[in-house]
This record gives sequence, C-alpha cells and structure tokens, in this order.
Amino acid sequence: MTVALAPAWKAVRRRPTLLAGLILLILFLFIALLAPVIAPYDPILQNGDLRLQPPSWGHPFGTDNFGRDIFSRVLWGTRIDLQIAVIGVVFPFLIGTTVGTLAGYLGGKVDTVFMRLIDIILAFPFLVLMLSIIAILGPGLQSFYIAMALVGWVSYARLIRAQMLVLKTVDYATAALSLGFSGPRIMFRHLLPNAIAGSVVFSMSDCVLVLLSGAAISYLGLGVQPPLAEWGVMVAEGQSFITTAWWITLFPGLSIVTLAFGFSLTGDGLGDLLGVRE
Amino acid sequence: MSEPLLSVRDLSVVFAGEDGPRTLIDSLSFDLGKGEILGLVGESGSGKSLTCRSLVRLMPSPKLAITSGTVMLDGKDLTTVSEADIREVRGRDIGMIFQNPTSHLDPLMRIGDQIAEGIRVHRGVDSKEARAVALDILAQVGFPHPARQYNGYPHEFSGGMRQRAMIGVALSCDPRILIADEPTTALDVTIQAQILRLLMDLRESRGLSVILITHDLGIVAQTCDRIAVLRQGRLLEIGDKRDVLGRPQHPYTQNLIASHPSMPERQALAVIAQEPVPLKARPLVEIDDLHVRFPVTGRGLFSGGPREFAAVKGVSLQVMPGETVGIVGESGSGKSTLARALLGLTPISEGHVTFDGADIVTERTKALRKLRRETAMVFQDPYNALNPRLTIGATLAEVLAVQESVPKERIPERIGELLDLVGLEREFASRKPLSMSGGQCQRAGIARALAVNPKLIVADECVAALDVTIQAQIVDLFRDLKQRLNLTLLFIAHDLAIVRNLCERVVVMYHGQIVEEGPTEDVFSAPREAYTQALIDAIPDIDPDKPLVSPRGGDALAEETSGLVTGEIS
Repeated sequence: MTVALAPAWKAVRRRPTLLAGLILLILFLFIALLAPVIAPYDPILQNGDLRLQPPSWGHPFGTDNFGRDIFSRVLWGTRIDLQIAVIGVVFPFLIGTTVGTLAGYLGGKVDTVFMRLIDIILAFPFLVLMLSIIAILGPGLQSFYIAMALVGWVSYARLIRAQMLVLKTVDYATAALSLGFSGPRIMFRHLLPNAIAGSVVFSMSDCVLVLLSGAAISYLGLGVQPPLAEWGVMVAEGQSFITTAWWITLFPGLSIVTLAFGFSLTGDGLGDLLGVRE
Repeated sequence: MSEPLLSVRDLSVVFAGEDGPRTLIDSLSFDLGKGEILGLVGESGSGKSLTCRSLVRLMPSPKLAITSGTVMLDGKDLTTVSEADIREVRGRDIGMIFQNPTSHLDPLMRIGDQIAEGIRVHRGVDSKEARAVALDILAQVGFPHPARQYNGYPHEFSGGMRQRAMIGVALSCDPRILIADEPTTALDVTIQAQILRLLMDLRESRGLSVILITHDLGIVAQTCDRIAVLRQGRLLEIGDKRDVLGRPQHPYTQNLIASHPSMPERQALAVIAQEPVPLKARPLVEIDDLHVRFPVTGRGLFSGGPREFAAVKGVSLQVMPGETVGIVGESGSGKSTLARALLGLTPISEGHVTFDGADIVTERTKALRKLRRETAMVFQDPYNALNPRLTIGATLAEVLAVQESVPKERIPERIGELLDLVGLEREFASRKPLSMSGGQCQRAGIARALAVNPKLIVADECVAALDVTIQAQIVDLFRDLKQRLNLTLLFIAHDLAIVRNLCERVVVMYHGQIVEEGPTEDVFSAPREAYTQALIDAIPDIDPDKPLVSPRGGDALAEETSGLVTGEIS
C-alpha cells in the first residue's frame, strides 16, 4: 500500500493548493470525529446564568442567548455540516454520472428524454425547487438530502454527457466496438473513467454550494431543527443579536467559510492534478 | 554564400525538469542566407520546432531557457535584447507559420482583417491603406478573389486556403525571414505541392529567407537549398541538399534516407511475391454498390427537409483471402467511411456488404458476430486508439477474455506471444500508452488487433502519424505478419509511396467513388485517370532533380485538380 501511495503523495506535495485544501479537510474531519472528546461543554445544555457572554478563556467563542457554549456548538456542528456536504454531493454525483453516461453514449431517444427532464429542472430557480420539495416532504435533513439528489444531479449529467459525446468518437471506443465489447463494458469500463475527471473536480466546488444551501435551508428553518448544533442554524439564531453579541454569528459563519475554502482549494488542486480546466 | 542574414552560434536550450536539468538543444550553430530556404529535418523530439521558437524567444514553457549561444540578426543578439525589442523582431523581421492553421487563426475574425491587423500594428498605416495592402497580400498568396474572400472567416475555407491565409498573416509585416513549422503536414499531397510552390514563389518575388521545418525528406529535396539534420537537439549534418541527400555522412542521415518511402523503382522488389489467387476462391469481402449517407445537421430552421451528405456513392469491391489491398485518396474521399461500413460500424444506406459469406444488411446478427471475431482495426493515432487508463496487458487480456478465444489460464501466456509477434518486449504488458513512444503504441495497437485471431485487418492511416523510420518498421511488421499469419489486409492511406511498397492491388477513391483500381504496379506506372496521375505527381520525391510537378501535367493539371479537390462537396 505504501508503495502505491508514494507517487500520489509526491504529486500532492508539489501542489500547495491541493495540500492546503486536503489539510483543511482532514482537520475538519478530525474535529468532527473527536467533537465529543474535545468539546468542553455539552452543545445543547442551556445555562441561564451564562447568557450572551463575550469570548473569554472559559468560553473562547462566547455563549449564546441560551447560555450554550458556542465553541462546543461549532465543534459539534462540524459533524452535521461535513455530513451535509458529503451526502449532499455523493447522491447527485452517482445519479448524474449514470444518467450522463447513458444519455451521452446511447444518444437518440434516451438522450432526448433526459435532456428535456434536465431542461425542466433547470427552468426553476434552484432554491425555489429545493424549498418546494422540502415543503412537500416536511422539514428535516433527510428531506434536504432527497431534494438535493433530485435537483443536484443535473450538473453532473450535463458534464458527463458532454465528455461522453466527445469520447464515443475516439478511436479506442471504435476499437472496443469493433472487438465486440458490450455497450455497458464500453460505457463504464472504457469511456467513463476517462470522462470523470471534470466531474470529480466539480464535485469539490459543488460541496461548497451544497454546504451553503444546507446552511441556507437550515437558516430558513427547513433543514436541521434546533436545538441541534448546525452552523447555518446558529447563524440564524444569532441574527437578532448581531449588534449586541456578534460572536454568536461570527464563529459559525467563519467555520462555513473555512470549510468551503478547504473544498474549494482541494477542487482547484485536483483540477490541476487531473489536468482539468474549468 | 555571402554574408548570412541570420547567424546562430552554439545555441543551447535547457529544460529545468523536476529530475534536474535536461539539455534539449545542444550547442547548435547554423547560418541562414538572404533568399535561402533552409530545411530543418528530424524526427519528433529532435528539437527542430524548439530551435525555431528559441530564435524569437517564444518558449512553449517557462521551464525552458536559453543557456548559452547567440542569435545574430543585423548585428543584434536576439537572445539578449529586451522584451520590447524581441516583440518588434517577431513579425517585422521574422514571421512564423505552423502546422495547423485552424488553431492559429482567430476563428471570429475575418481573414482579411487578421492580415490587415499586422500591417496596422507594424507599419503604422491607417486602416484603409492596411486593407489595400492586405488585399494585395491575399492575391499574392493565391486567393483567386481577394476582394470577396477578404471578408471570409477561417471556417469557410479549406485547409489549404487557411494555410495560405496564415502565410498571408505572416507576410503582413513584410518579414525577411519566414519560419515554416511543418506547414504542409496536415494537408493532402496535391495541396501540399501548391503550398510548397507558393513558398518558393515568395522566395523568388520577395527575396524571403525561409526556415522550413519538416520530417519529410521529399519536401526538403524539392524545396530547400540546404539541409540541416537534427537529432536529440544536436546538429548532425548540414550542407547543400545534393550533398546531404546524395552523400550523407552521418549514419542516422543514411538511415533516414533509406527509410523514406520513396517512389523510385526499387519497391518493385519489396512487394511480396504473391501466389496468384485461385480463380474459384470465394472473396472474403464483397462490396456491391455501397452507399453511405449521413444526415447533415446544423441547417437552418426553415431550410426544408433533412439534407444528406453522401460519403460513399456506389462502391463495388472484392477482396480475396490473403490479399493486400491499398485504398488511397485525399481527405474526404470516403475511404475511412468505406472501411467502417464494411466492418459494420457505420449504417449502410444502400447496397450490400458480404463478409465471408454473411451479408451485413440481411443477416446482420450473424454477420456482426463473424465480423467482431474475425476482423480488427488498426487506427491512425496510436495514442487515441488505446484506452489511456489501461496497461497494454490489461487491454489485451480484456480482448482475449471477451472473445473467449483462449482459456482463462492461458491468457497471460497469450499476451506474451502477442507482444512477441509485434516485436515488443514482454515487460510492455505492464506499461500504459502515455509512457510509450508512438511506434511502440502502434505495435500495441496491432497486438490488440491480432488478439482477435483476425482473418481481415483494416488499417486506417496507421502510419500517417509516425516518423519515417518508425513508418518503415511498422510497414515491415505488417509485411511479416501477413506472411506468417496469412492475413488479409485492407490498408487505407493517403501516402501513395507506402501503399506502393506494401500492397498488391490499389483502389483510388475520389469523392466517395472508386476512380481507378488495379494491380499496384499498373496503376502507378500507367495511371488511366488524370486524378491518379495528379496524386502521384504531387508526391515530393527525395531526388532533388525530379521536379515537384511533372513537366507533362504542368501547372494546368495542378490547378485543375486543386479545383476538384478544394471544391465544395455538395
């Protein structure tokens, strides 16, 4: 295993953006895993004596209007936000890749049907569509993931389809056809691995978008429900105290930005590594 | 030679790689006289393009740097002058043209304006005057209707006309030196002949000095005054073309000349003496009045019903088992479409194709099953033909597994045999295409074709992308395999010399139809059609004393066929 990883490590080390992005993401992953150990307080424990305390040694990020420790809530929130970013991307990625591969390679009616479906989805503003789906399914993270999967695959399908249209005319596709390889074999073993790099890079920037829309949905009260600690919810809750207790919104907000930055750097670095230009 | 116009001394270019510096050009020295055409010859990776880019400091990568040497022009050393000065030199003193005019012309700008722009910038004249000069240049580079064609966009012209336009852009600043980097490699032979003639005419009329980069010794023999042979960044040999071609000093040059698939008499020996095919044998492939039409897309909304483009129009052809048939023709002649149709890769619009007794149209399933197990294709671009993510071993193993031609446990052994057959070391099984040279990739491609145990191999321009010495090796390999495995070979090429070397029978295609067909020697020594004659004449011969266009046909024929070739396909 170490032998196989050595060239990968060498490639990463030469790309400071990728390295920085990966370090940030790994840092957040550790925070998420170790939140129960490193968080000094219970994130949902209310304490009437400690309301709206500014940052201090005891409470580095201060406390909110219920006297909860913001530092602990930010640490616990990492778990949920990282989960939102990953699950919110994985399902659209899988659906979109499959649809794009089929539409691009098979063409004809399959292509027409999927492309019209994509047109319909794109005709609605993203958030409006998300909100309607969540409204129908009822508020909660699960609804958010389902809505994300129903709407988010569109970009991946279009990316992969465009690549497949080019790749299916390449000589090795013709060669595979002339050698009697089956359609699925040509699509998924020969063409898809060569088409997927752009989508992998895009999925990183998509993580940022999903993270932000997750926060936005929670902010609107349709995602994560209080008192659960999630950065978007925390920003929403701190809103009414923004002039008097800025720390309630500042620290979760900074966390969103930093995690997004990590994904974004990783995306740029991967694009460079895989030779994809956006 | 009098005082040289451009003088290069000890030029070295170093690439600062991750594994330490690599010298790509190693103390190169040469002179270029006024009105001289100097040929820079070498295979890919020899540093010929890089040399010319270094002259005007247009380095393709920031990791490349000129480490020593001088490039003297008018008493100035171009390697040390300021960035502003070198920009003046580019264009005004030294113009450049490239292999692919499509990617070097601005697709959104009228070609006339692209020429006028250089005139305005470098000569400081107003736009009206610039237009007048541009029209004059368009006429000089051979546009028949400059006033009308001034307003055309690059995509409206054929490849040859685009190359003329790019020469026009290079001439717009009235340079004294023109660097032409493989200017005709992407063009058909008849068009190539015209462009080379244009370069020679410009030399006559403007006293232009030209550095012509090419891998084709035939081209240098026909156009250049002196030849410089490069290999791995070193100058092996430089001298008058007759000296270099007639009495090459360096063994590499000798090898290069020997590899040139020239047209002289010797290839009569090279053609495999073939037993006459028994008359009663059934043809392996039988094509009868084949038509292939494609729907034309991109028409306007109101232009009426769907339009079709006929790529193959009524072709009939028989190929006997064990035969080697060459199909020649220029781009757009339908030769590749014919091959794809006969392999069942392109739908047939009309007519019949029978492979080994199975009709592709009426017995499609049966015929396709036969075709997939008994035919294979070899492609033009070896890198594009192999999946870049799979090792050669994995590629071959997959074919063997899908075809079920050998039992599972015999697959690794068979891979080794296949690699032996095509002359690759067995360790190539673990290599990926991008870590191999073009020739090695092409051998791997042939190994994949052989993995099928084919009766018929269709080779589509399979040596066109390779260097001459590699071309010769691949052709030898085909000849060897044909004899050993009793293959039937359909060899598609635009390079007549190679077809003449390898094939017993040749089919000449033009605009989707067969214009001439017959035993190779007969067709080449006594072509019946003017088109075949023009194709043969347009090949630049390695013998400098054989002129580019035969005195018989002369210019009239060249013009006439060029009209045919560049004419709109309707």
